[in-house]
Amino acid sequence: MSESIELANVVNNKNENVELVSVEQWIENVDELSKLGVGVVVRPSDDVKLLQDTLNDIALIALDFNNFDDGRGYSQAYLLSKRWQYAGEIIGINAHLDQLQFMLRSGVTSYKLLESYEGIDVLDYSNGFSICYQAAANNSGLKEKF
Amino acid sequence: MYQYSPEDSKFLVERVDQFEKQLKRHLDGDLDAAKFRSLRLRNGLYMELHAHMLRVAIPYGTLNTTQLRALADVADKYDRGFGHFTTRQNIQYNWIELPEIANLLRELSSVGLHAIQTSGKATRNITADPLSGLTEGEISDARPYCELIRRWFNLHPEFSWLPGKFKIAINGAKFDETALRIHDLGLRLVRNKEGELGFTVYVGGGLGAAAMVAAETASFVPVEDILSYLESAMRIYNLKGRRDHLKKLRIKFLVRELGAEEYSRLVDEDWKQTRDDPDLKLNLTHLSELEKDFALPIKPLALDGFEDKVDFNYSIWKKNNVRAHKVSGHSIVNVSLTKLGEAPGDATSEQMRILADLADQYSYSELRTTKRQTIVFPHVRKDQIFDLWQSLEKYGLASPHQGTLAQIVACPGGDYCDLAKAVSIPIATRVQQRFDDMDKLLDIGNLNINISGCENSCAHHHVADIGLLGMQKNGEEYYQITVAGETLHKTVIGKKLGPSVSGDNVVDAVEDIVNVYLDNRDEEEKFTEVFKRIGIKPFKEKVYE
Repeated sequence: MSESIELANVVNNKNENVELVSVEQWIENVDELSKLGVGVVVRPSDDVKLLQDTLNDIALIALDFNNFDDGRGYSQAYLLSKRWQYAGEIIGINAHLDQLQFMLRSGVTSYKLLESYEGIDVLDYSNGFSICYQAAANNSGLKEKF
Repeated sequence: MYQYSPEDSKFLVERVDQFEKQLKRHLDGDLDAAKFRSLRLRNGLYMELHAHMLRVAIPYGTLNTTQLRALADVADKYDRGFGHFTTRQNIQYNWIELPEIANLLRELSSVGLHAIQTSGKATRNITADPLSGLTEGEISDARPYCELIRRWFNLHPEFSWLPGKFKIAINGAKFDETALRIHDLGLRLVRNKEGELGFTVYVGGGLGAAAMVAAETASFVPVEDILSYLESAMRIYNLKGRRDHLKKLRIKFLVRELGAEEYSRLVDEDWKQTRDDPDLKLNLTHLSELEKDFALPIKPLALDGFEDKVDFNYSIWKKNNVRAHKVSGHSIVNVSLTKLGEAPGDATSEQMRILADLADQYSYSELRTTKRQTIVFPHVRKDQIFDLWQSLEKYGLASPHQGTLAQIVACPGGDYCDLAKAVSIPIATRVQQRFDDMDKLLDIGNLNINISGCENSCAHHHVADIGLLGMQKNGEEYYQITVAGETLHKTVIGKKLGPSVSGDNVVDAVEDIVNVYLDNRDEEEKFTEVFKRIGIKPFKEKVYE
């Protein structure tokens, strides 16, 4: 897990630097932080429901997928994106190539792969299927069969 | 019978293509062992003592003869001519070479078979009553629901990385042949007062070291709302399930820690927000199409004046192996693969081809696999049962053991599995040798013995009349005995008899238990009934005297 990046900031989909704060920092200083246009980094053990009331003030949400076998991020992405209709960017950080297809369909809108995946064709892993069997936050590019 | 569409087949091939790339990266050193493990398990592949083990799904236990022949070909080409039918409607191969896996899976995909999510921390193969659609008094055939729910959780984006494995069973029959309440999630098809179809839901069952009977979390979920309910049940598990303790990963620990009531409340709270989402409604058009696909291939048959042959061996076999079919003129025939000294559930490729040929001839090219590791011919004309028996006899497949004590369920055990603490199959063989007299077996009647080689409980020993669990004590193999477990009418976890007994003494102990049963039995009383009446003490005294 040493390759995991402890991000103090992240580059968003407009190629701008966005500063990241933790869920606790955000909750404690929401008035001040919401004026600064900061993003919130959500770890698997964080309760994403704490963000529900102030979602519209968050510039970007970064979900941490570093732990390969910890699937909480997928439910967090679903809640933010589909249930609460968060309109901002949801970036999957410390992402794994082999999990892109799951992340992107759960509601993650952009990603930053771990460095070890550099040089591998991402398309093979984000777009390997022609159909899907279930409703999801994002089924674009897939024929839905359900 | 239900057949995959070209789209479904393409999906299977795409999954194999993806896995082949992952395997190549692993072999090239670009994908580390831990991540590859996680990925290969989701494709049914285990590292075992001597080679790789592959688990292939037989959804709801239904196979056509083309599929069975393909499984036989795989056994010859990629294994050593064997396959092992498991207690959860899968087949396992024990001698698979890693580089050949993609070709093997491609061959299977051409007949609609796969190994997707047969292992790993995701929704496993969904099991159903092997006699679905065949028996009188059934609420509804569970298989169309199994198929729709299986698909829904196939590479589900949100629920493919759960805290632990997730096993679902669905029962539509009057009695529970699926052992619903020892599953992570069990669905029982029911009708409400208005006559509408729905499910009673049980969550948090499981065997293993902390055996638990699943709690009822919903008494009636309408059929069209079941997908959203299942998603909520899994979402609470995915977000709150234990991930910090290897032995507490299964949902039963979450349900126990929260309490069934609190878990159900959290599920309901989540479900309230999704149950009206049209995307999550079960597609009733698909359901009715599937129901047509699963319709029985037979019509009622009037066999006026038919009298079956009289033959001593045939009669014994028939008594134990043939059951009533709801369509007149037909019967359900159970074939036991168990022979002395062979692993329960093991079949050679030759046996698989013989069974396929016979099913083409006698059972509309359809077969079912069961929790007791037998093969069912689902629709046999009553006037052809004798001919089928003669053919089975010719090939050594007419073992009349079905439903007797000699039809032992056992996992592969220490001979094959690197998780095992003790052997299973040699113990089964010794029990069978001890009880090799057919008159005695018929006298004892229906009595289940299940043997698991470790606490993972693959042979479901907790819910057998007599269950044996292999363990190590001072470097020697010992067996914990449990008695009077059951699932058919209600789910009861067997009681521990006392201290574990050594491998040398375990068969004597089994015989003692059987004798206490026989000595105390009133007429047709079953083992569990005698146990309820006389308690554990007489069994204990006899075994430990």
